[in-house]
Amino acid sequence: MDQILQLLFTGIGIGAVYALVALGFVLIFRATNVVNFAQGEFSMVAAFLMVVFAVDLQWPYWLSFIVSLAGMALFGVIFNLGVYYPLRHRTFLPVIIATIGASIFLANSVLAIYGPAPQVLEGWFETPGIQLGPVYLDSQYLLIIAVTIALVILNYWFFEHTMLGKKLQATSQDKEMASLLGISVSGMIMITFIYSAVLGGLAGILVAPVLFVSIQMGATIALKAFAATIIGGFGDVTGAIIGGIALGIIETFGAAYVSVPYKDAFAFLVLILFLVFRPQGIFGERVAEKA
Amino acid sequence: MALLEINDLMVLYGEIEALRGVSLKVEAGQVVTLLGSNGAGKSTTLRAISGLAKPAAGEILFDGKSIVGLGPEAIVRLGISHVPEGRRVFPGLTVKENIMLGASNRRVAKAQLAREADAMFDLFPDIRPFADKLGWTLSGGQLQMVAVARGLMAKPRLLLLDEPSLGLAPVIVQAVFRIIGEIRRDTTVLLVEQNARMGLSVADYGYVLETGRLALGGKPDDLWGNEAIRAAYLGGHTKVSV
Amino acid sequence: MTAKTQDAKAQDLPAAAPVHSTPLLLRHLPYFIVAAIAVFAAATMSFDGYVLNILMQATTFAVAVFGLTVVLGLCGQINLAQAAFFGLGAYVVGLGTTDYQINFWICLIGGSLVALLAGALLGMSTLKLGGHYLAMVTISFQQILTLVMINAIWLTHGPDGISKIGRPALFQSQQSFLALCVAVLALVGYLVWHLPDTRIGRAMRAVRDNELAAGVAGIDIFRTKVLAFALSALLGGLGGGLFAGGFSYVSPDQFSFAESIVFLTMALLGGVGSPIGAVIGTGLLILIPEWLRFLKSIPGLYLAIYGLFVILIVRFMPDGIWGFVQDMLTRWCTKRPAAMTSPALQLVPAKTGGDMVLEVTGLSKHFGGLKAVDKIMLDGTDVTDMPPHQRTAAGLGRTFQNIRLFRSMTALENVVIGAERPGNTLTGNGGQDALTERALSALTFVGLGPRANELVSSFSYGHQRLIEIARALAGNPTLLLLDEPAAGLNSTEKLELHDLLKRIAAQGLTILIIDHDMTLVREAAQHITVLNFGKRIADGESLAVLQHPDVISAYLGTE
Repeated sequence: MDQILQLLFTGIGIGAVYALVALGFVLIFRATNVVNFAQGEFSMVAAFLMVVFAVDLQWPYWLSFIVSLAGMALFGVIFNLGVYYPLRHRTFLPVIIATIGASIFLANSVLAIYGPAPQVLEGWFETPGIQLGPVYLDSQYLLIIAVTIALVILNYWFFEHTMLGKKLQATSQDKEMASLLGISVSGMIMITFIYSAVLGGLAGILVAPVLFVSIQMGATIALKAFAATIIGGFGDVTGAIIGGIALGIIETFGAAYVSVPYKDAFAFLVLILFLVFRPQGIFGERVAEKA
Repeated sequence: MALLEINDLMVLYGEIEALRGVSLKVEAGQVVTLLGSNGAGKSTTLRAISGLAKPAAGEILFDGKSIVGLGPEAIVRLGISHVPEGRRVFPGLTVKENIMLGASNRRVAKAQLAREADAMFDLFPDIRPFADKLGWTLSGGQLQMVAVARGLMAKPRLLLLDEPSLGLAPVIVQAVFRIIGEIRRDTTVLLVEQNARMGLSVADYGYVLETGRLALGGKPDDLWGNEAIRAAYLGGHTKVSV
Repeated sequence: MTAKTQDAKAQDLPAAAPVHSTPLLLRHLPYFIVAAIAVFAAATMSFDGYVLNILMQATTFAVAVFGLTVVLGLCGQINLAQAAFFGLGAYVVGLGTTDYQINFWICLIGGSLVALLAGALLGMSTLKLGGHYLAMVTISFQQILTLVMINAIWLTHGPDGISKIGRPALFQSQQSFLALCVAVLALVGYLVWHLPDTRIGRAMRAVRDNELAAGVAGIDIFRTKVLAFALSALLGGLGGGLFAGGFSYVSPDQFSFAESIVFLTMALLGGVGSPIGAVIGTGLLILIPEWLRFLKSIPGLYLAIYGLFVILIVRFMPDGIWGFVQDMLTRWCTKRPAAMTSPALQLVPAKTGGDMVLEVTGLSKHFGGLKAVDKIMLDGTDVTDMPPHQRTAAGLGRTFQNIRLFRSMTALENVVIGAERPGNTLTGNGGQDALTERALSALTFVGLGPRANELVSSFSYGHQRLIEIARALAGNPTLLLLDEPAAGLNSTEKLELHDLLKRIAAQGLTILIIDHDMTLVREAAQHITVLNFGKRIADGESLAVLQHPDVISAYLGTE
């Protein structure tokens, strides 16, 4: 029983990271109808930025954090202008391929600059964790869960209670109509990319002390986030978050009770199973056949 | 000087000539109706005015200045509001939110926006009970009112209304046209309709489009008595000239 | 709202495959001569070991890239696991020849079949969903396979890989094995080159160009996609098996996701639409890095450039190098239309169900997409629950309101697909010639015979509509559905259309037209049904219906 609670805590913790990345995914998809295969690289680049500022340059953590997030915002702008915007009128296939190319380019550019050895990023807190009864609460995981909860609330408030959030929703529901009302569609898309880049970056920075900071972390996180959105129901914001948490739990239990080396395979297997048997996920509507 | 002036407009969809040689005028304070059967090019005309479609040739002048080449966001800021066919109320947002978004062409504080939306419900009392309901739950007639209210929130000088009666029961259609009768006091309206009788009942002037070309133009009484209008709609005995 | 450019821009579609008229053997002989020379050169020219390795890699990779030419270029479906299939073939050959001492040839075939099976299963599980789902599934499959290769040490030797992989008895030397690879490449290349002109190849191209229209023309969309996917996997496995034999050593990191991207880039760079493009892309991307070998010294730089390349190619050169060349060629050389003759078009509708051709009962559709229908009977067959391609097989032919032609193909090819409708009694087992002849008859019937070999994009809108009608007619349907055939036509074209409809009806074919153009309706139809707000308000003989007061008020408006 103790072990189950412990695994549950870890599962939720890592699931929260997937949820954040999945959220960024879904937001871009709803605004542009594009699946961004480079979403995971946003997390990876941010983690490396933290390493550059906090470890190499020895800047204080809080400063490195802010600068890294600012860097990610800028990154979102460049990504939109360089990859999505020039292809926005093409069919989905060229865009998918372009984002895959971007993903490869980013991962390997960082590899070329930094080398293959994984980097270590210290945790944020002096105290490594709190013992709560039978369960050991790792402080970094606690931070992740706390930040995710805060972000989900912030996200909800932003979309439901600000006019900008309403404009973003309107753009993702009917771009042409939004432009007829005077909403700048390209501006909305730019904001979406910036926001998703920062979300992805935040997830990467938070999870970096727990996993090693490596080139591959982006790809693995992205695929798991994608699996999370499928589980939750593709295109659904709440579904992405719940799917992320669910996947984190499944994966952690799977690693403990079934097999460790194949831990990553669970996400993929769940993904394939859902796609075959329930493509609409838990919350989504029927998936339309692509004509 | 006419509020809106179109000269020799040509719009292509790929290789098809959707509009060719279309010229019309809308004077400030008027309600002008554009008639024609399906596929005649009425919606295309409105789309060209609001910037959704780029003309291949011709002029569109608003207040004497050319607006060809401007995007929709710029044109609505100049004072032309387009309520497109099919209503297109945002399905995932509430009625009130939809209406508030209608003011996106202006800089307005949120509190002020809410007040203006409330004022809009005075004009459209039938939809006030639905203020917090999501767009996808409404019926056709209700959606049409939301769409017009949203279009009016832009405080336009020229309102483009595309087929407001489409798919609506006759009783609702009358309600919609009654509202048009009320807003014409402050807003110039260019109305597109397939329903010729309704369309001409509120108009000061009318044009008839046929396969992308202007076939007729005149005062409503003159048009209604004209055999050609029946021919344009029912393929009568009159040979149609292009 | 209706006529927006809804298809991809023209640059996303590859060039058409023209229909030739010179005899088969004469056309193909040059290819085999060149292939034979290449094999001979590979077997006899003296290369140093390094060059041999490069060539070996290029030929085996090219076989795998041919697989992408089929699934992505021809059928428009994405496959991001080609390296996984390549790896499957390689591992079967590797493990089979070393651990189990099985003959090389059996292992090669076995490996290809294992890959084929994997591809078919993967395809069947997700090809009903859209493109990015398929992309995700293929990536997941790739990752799972890599994990298995690394971790299932009892089976795969794990990260150490497999070494000392055997070769077949006749091809023991490096050089002779290379010759074998070149021969296989030439053979596969030939098949892939001519696939677009076969029935299944045309079906793949139709699915790529316009899935909806393909279904309605009688093509089983799902089966076609799965076939393309499975074929791609087969070629991947074949290439991998040869790769294993050629290099005698394989390890998991050679078959990772990165390699799938390498294959994809090779296909895209050369031009995904043709095998020539595949060869160019593969050759360039293997040779160039060899000259720029210093790039590999910095880990990651090589692949980073690959990634950048992919973005740039997609953005600026979506048809690849060969696509660009082909574009230039078509602009400089004008095709002389081949003089072809064909018999007059015969339309013999089946009429097995007696006098009633179409009967629809209880049809309703609600907002929200829910629709209900009691029954639809087509010529005595209940088609209510049938998917589009089966209804076409039952005798239904149709055109669309917004024209749905296969834009990368010529007029003739579009109509041939219509003629290939399963259940078409008038072409039977006549083969390619009978199909072409029937298609030409249909095109001549609509007045476009002399322009049969032109790409459909060069026709005016009105003529494209005629091609669509010809495509439906070529299938010899029992009922022809025309959805707003007069939409977008000028008055001259409308007169031509009216004349065409008269000629079609004269052959005994039943036509159901939906249209607003009352002139056309009045003069062409014997019987008119009028719907208003979803209800039938008039039904009967044309003249009477048009003078019916309800109809007049519905069209001109009520007070």
